[in-house]
Amino acid sequence: MSQPTSQSTEQDAILRAGIDRSLRHPVMFFLTSGAAWLAVSIFLGIIASVKVHSPGFLSSLSWLTYGRVFPAHVNALVYGWGMQAAFAAILWLMARLSRKECTMVGSILTAGHVWNLGIALGVIGILSGNGTGMPWMEFPSFAWPLLLISYFAIVAGSFIQFRIRPVGHVYVSQWYLLAALLWFPWIYVTSNVLLHCLPGHPVMGAGINAWFRSALLFLFFTPVALGVTYYLAPKVTGRPVFSYSLAKFGFWSLAVIAPWAGMQKLAGAPVPYFLPYIGAAATALIFIPACAAAINTLRTMASAPETMAASPSLRFAAAGMAGLLVLAAAAVLLNLPGSTLRLTQFTLSGYGFDILALYGFFTLSMFGATYFIVPRVTLREWISRRLIKVHFYLSVYGIITVALVALFGGTQQGLGQENWQQPWLGVLDYARPYAVATTFAWCLILFSNIFFFIHLLLMWMRLGRRSSHPTLLVSHHGGNPHGEDGDIDNAGPGHAHAH
Amino acid sequence: MSEPSPKPDLEDSINVTAAHDRLVREAAAAVREKRIDDSGSEPISLWVIAVCGVVFLIAGGILGGAGDLFNYGAVFKPGYVRTPPPGMEASGPAPKEALAAFMTRGSKIYSVKCNGCHGADARGDGANFPTLAGSAWVTGDTDRLAMIILNGLVGPMSSGKTYGGAGGMAAQGTGLSPEDLAGIMTYVRNNFGNSTGDVVTVEMAKNAMDISAARAKLGQQMTAEELAADHAKNLSGEPLDPAALVDPITLAPVAEATP
Repeated sequence: MSQPTSQSTEQDAILRAGIDRSLRHPVMFFLTSGAAWLAVSIFLGIIASVKVHSPGFLSSLSWLTYGRVFPAHVNALVYGWGMQAAFAAILWLMARLSRKECTMVGSILTAGHVWNLGIALGVIGILSGNGTGMPWMEFPSFAWPLLLISYFAIVAGSFIQFRIRPVGHVYVSQWYLLAALLWFPWIYVTSNVLLHCLPGHPVMGAGINAWFRSALLFLFFTPVALGVTYYLAPKVTGRPVFSYSLAKFGFWSLAVIAPWAGMQKLAGAPVPYFLPYIGAAATALIFIPACAAAINTLRTMASAPETMAASPSLRFAAAGMAGLLVLAAAAVLLNLPGSTLRLTQFTLSGYGFDILALYGFFTLSMFGATYFIVPRVTLREWISRRLIKVHFYLSVYGIITVALVALFGGTQQGLGQENWQQPWLGVLDYARPYAVATTFAWCLILFSNIFFFIHLLLMWMRLGRRSSHPTLLVSHHGGNPHGEDGDIDNAGPGHAHAH
Repeated sequence: MSEPSPKPDLEDSINVTAAHDRLVREAAAAVREKRIDDSGSEPISLWVIAVCGVVFLIAGGILGGAGDLFNYGAVFKPGYVRTPPPGMEASGPAPKEALAAFMTRGSKIYSVKCNGCHGADARGDGANFPTLAGSAWVTGDTDRLAMIILNGLVGPMSSGKTYGGAGGMAAQGTGLSPEDLAGIMTYVRNNFGNSTGDVVTVEMAKNAMDISAARAKLGQQMTAEELAADHAKNLSGEPLDPAALVDPITLAPVAEATP
């Protein structure tokens, strides 16, 4: 491809800046309200986790009993934070990659408010005891049509942008994002219609619900996070994606394998016999697309180690990919033939797997996207390097603790459950130290995310630094008190470091 | 990305440098982005393929563990018995003391077969249905009791009184297994104030059924005369210690559990 001239580079920068400007409010709205829901969700998660090891905690409040606060925690995490962070990333990336400005700001913001209203009503519905009792679908049944309609209003523009994009190459990220955009309504409509409108046999209902959870993870959150990382890795390092054929292989293997996963949750239940086995095998096979994408992006990042050390977005994206590798290994280990599935089926480890996927992989990737996108749409640089560092370390150490403790502690709990000669209460003794560690780790994560929310809010209000220098994690002007943070003028692209 | 050109673009009235400076001021992040126009074409490493191959084998093992995925006949076996937990021998239900096990079986039969006439307390009603409590024929010879249960009874009872008019008591033998008969006999002999303290064993019940099948007046109700003539004796069979352990389902004696 010919080297772009100075003129065309300028034109392109103007175009990109215009796209960013058009997306300022939609992107910041979803990120900021998502971050607020994330903090709410973690707060509810702490209450739920405390109740595991100290059942008397807040026991006088019926609104905060474990059976309500735990589903509220998970649903706020999935729909409040996860989906909204995905919306922000999809809106921005689809506009950028299709080179089209966003022309539907009003409808997106309106739908975004409806979405948040739906989440708020849903969470209140769960806490007031009107949850449906179906994991990840606990919102009272009025919520899902509301969310579905606002989903279409939010992402309709992204479909149109992709349709009218300039003819040419479709980048890897676009495959993943477009697939996620199409897969979500399929999963969501299928599961909700089958469970709310046409309820069949309740055992099969539990199977559909298990499939829904798995599909939402692997057919929506996973492709969104991979799309983001496939964008960030080459963009920030300035190196091409390590292997295009590996990227294609990873995408198509995910598309083929992921829809089969999920029913392993019903091992031993009276459902058609092949379903749990196919679910377990497919979940183990998720390792293959996960490994392909993680290795591809990590190898791309590894080609520029100095950027990896300096760029917050790249560091979060790399942590997310590491989380994906751990998730892939856990998917294999939790479904090994004959042993572990039976052992871990009814334990903490299911929660650990979900949290590892939602936070250790998806959320860390979304943080990477956030640190990249926000300076562009707000035209301000991140205020504080230290806040980003604290956010990174507390998030990563916190999620390592939560996920590993839940996976390993879940195995211990499973061993306790299998030992039928001891009283059931003894199992709680096995799980107790792990539950305490989970509470502690969630507290760390909450602490970091409250500051993340404040940081984000200040950026939205355009109180970020006015500078042409990105906020990097390592300072090249270490000892200089008049370093780049105070530098307001423009130093030109030659001086600006890759973000 | 290139250095800004120092000279103005002659074809345009815009000063490129000035325009660039303004752009950098206003959209520094967008300007400093890198453009990637090509895709990498590194080959897929061999070890990635190898690791994925191992995972593929594991997934195959998971599917293989299901056996015949769609062959329900091979998977859901009729008469399936739960496999014992690791380290434990196949034990079934825990053994019980013989008297308690026979009584439990008998109480179930009583509630089905006897309750309707003799009543839950076995006191009868004094007019049509006699009491079983303290009855000499209930607590007496087991052969006689077995014959009454299996064949019914007409005419005067042990007390000399006639109950139930000309119809008497209907035969109750239909559908009774030897275990059931042993259970119901043990139950009425040790309940409702009766306490013979012995167990009518399954072997004795089998003998009773043989005796009943060999009767001259097969199919007719018992009478006091026939009972006195042929059945005023105990059933033959090895007596069973009421405290011996038996299987609560089969009522067969089990060996002492070895710890």
